[in-house]
Amino acid sequence: MDKKSDERTKRMDLVRIPTGIPGLDEMIEGGFPFPSVVLISGPAGTGKTTFALKYLCEGAKRGEQGLYFTTLSEPTQWMLRYASQFDFMDRDFFGDQIVYMDLGNMMRELDAGQILAAMEEKIAEVVPQRIVIDPITVVGGMLKGDYRLFLFDLFNRLKNWNATTLVTGEVGPGEVYPPEVSYAVDGIVLLMLSEEGGARRKYLEVLKMRGTNHLTGKQSIDISRSEGIVVLKARF
Amino acid sequence: MNEKDLMLMEELLKAMDASGLNGAILVDVPSTQFVRFNIMLLRGLSQDRGLSGLFVSVDRPHQYMVHLLSMHQIKAERLMYIDAISRFSADCKIAPANVGFVDGPFHIDKLPAAMSEYNPSDDGKKTGLKDCRYAIIDNLSALLTYNSFGSVELFLRNFVKVFESPRNALVLLVIDKEKSAPLYELAKTLCASEISFRQTIEVKASGDSGVKTITDITYCKKG
Repeated sequence: MDKKSDERTKRMDLVRIPTGIPGLDEMIEGGFPFPSVVLISGPAGTGKTTFALKYLCEGAKRGEQGLYFTTLSEPTQWMLRYASQFDFMDRDFFGDQIVYMDLGNMMRELDAGQILAAMEEKIAEVVPQRIVIDPITVVGGMLKGDYRLFLFDLFNRLKNWNATTLVTGEVGPGEVYPPEVSYAVDGIVLLMLSEEGGARRKYLEVLKMRGTNHLTGKQSIDISRSEGIVVLKARF
Repeated sequence: MNEKDLMLMEELLKAMDASGLNGAILVDVPSTQFVRFNIMLLRGLSQDRGLSGLFVSVDRPHQYMVHLLSMHQIKAERLMYIDAISRFSADCKIAPANVGFVDGPFHIDKLPAAMSEYNPSDDGKKTGLKDCRYAIIDNLSALLTYNSFGSVELFLRNFVKVFESPRNALVLLVIDKEKSAPLYELAKTLCASEISFRQTIEVKASGDSGVKTITDITYCKKG
C-alpha cells in the first residue's frame, strides 16, 4: 500500500482542544475531544473552578470564544475576585472572549425546559467553542422536572452546538463522582485530596475519556499562582 | 457576529466575488471555527448578496444553524436545508425551516438523488433546488466517520458536478487542512481557488504560483 492510499484509509483522529493544564494534555492525546462534555469532579478545595477558568483562558489565548455558566456555587463577582490572583487570568478576556451568565435566579423560577432554552439562547448569541457549567450538581436538587432527562438533552445539545463543555461536580466525603452525571458525559477527570503524613496532598486522575488512549492512575498536582493547576508526576 | 466577524465576512465576499460567485472554492478553516465560519458565509451569501442556497447538514442537526441565523438576525428565507443527521441524533430541538431529510449519513451515495428529488418549491412559494446559487456542507470531514474515503470521493465529485455544471452555482468545500489533509488534497483537485481562514485570508487562483494575501485581519489573539 503506497503512502497516499495509506493516509486515505487510516482512521480519522478526533479533533482535540488543549486544556491549558500543564501535564494534562500529554495524558490525553493532546486535549479534550471537540465537541464533548467532560465532568471535573472533586470535593471542596481541589481546584475545580481554577481548572475551569484556566481552560477558558487557554481558549481565549487561542482566539476561541468561552462561555461560563454559574449556577449556585458563588456569585460571579466573588469568584472573579479570588480568581484575579492567578497570573493566567487576563482581564482583557472577560466580557469579550469569556462571557458569563448566572443561572442562579433562573433555577429558582424556571422549569427544566425553560432553563435549557435560556442556555441555548446565550450559546447561540456567543457561539462559544468552550463552555463551563459550574457546578452542574446543584441543578439536580433544584430542578422542576426530570434531572436525568434534562442532563441527556443538555449534554446532547451542548455537543451539537459544537463546543467542548466542562461541567464541575461537587462530591461529599467518600464520594468520587456524582453518578447521575457520570453516565451522561464523555470524560471524567477526578480531583482528589489525600491525607498523607499529616498533610493533605492533591491528585488528578483521568477516569474516563471516550475515544482517547489516556494515562491511568492518580497523578500529583499542585496549584500555583502562575499557572493554576499543574500535573506534577505524569509519566509520559 | 461581532465587528471582526463582519470585517472578515466582507473580505470573504470580496474573494468569492473575484471568482464570479460560481464554481467550486476550497476553504481551509480550523475545525473549531466551522460554525462561526458557516454563519459568516450564510450571512454574506443569503442576506448581503440575496442568493438562494442549500445547506447540507451531515455533522449536526440543521436546527442549530436555523437557531443561530435567527439569533443573529440573518435573513435567510431563501436558504434550504438537507439534513442527513437529525434522524440519527436523538435530538428533539425545534426550529422551523425549509428542510428535507435523508435517513442517515452512512450512504452518501444516496444524497445526490435525495437532493434531486427534494423540491419544496412545488407549492410555488419556497425556494427549490433548481434555484440554488450556492451550496455548503457543514463539515465535509464528518462524512469520513461513516463512509470510506472512496465513497466520499465519489460523492464529492458528483456534488460539485451537480451544482457547478448545469446551475453554474458556487460550491464551498470547507475543510480543516491540518486535520484532514488527504480530503483537502482531493478537494483541491476539484476547486478553482482556495481561501485560507487562519491567521490571514489568502486567495490563490488555480495555476497561479503566487498567493495573494488580501487582508491581515486575524481572529487569533497572539499568545
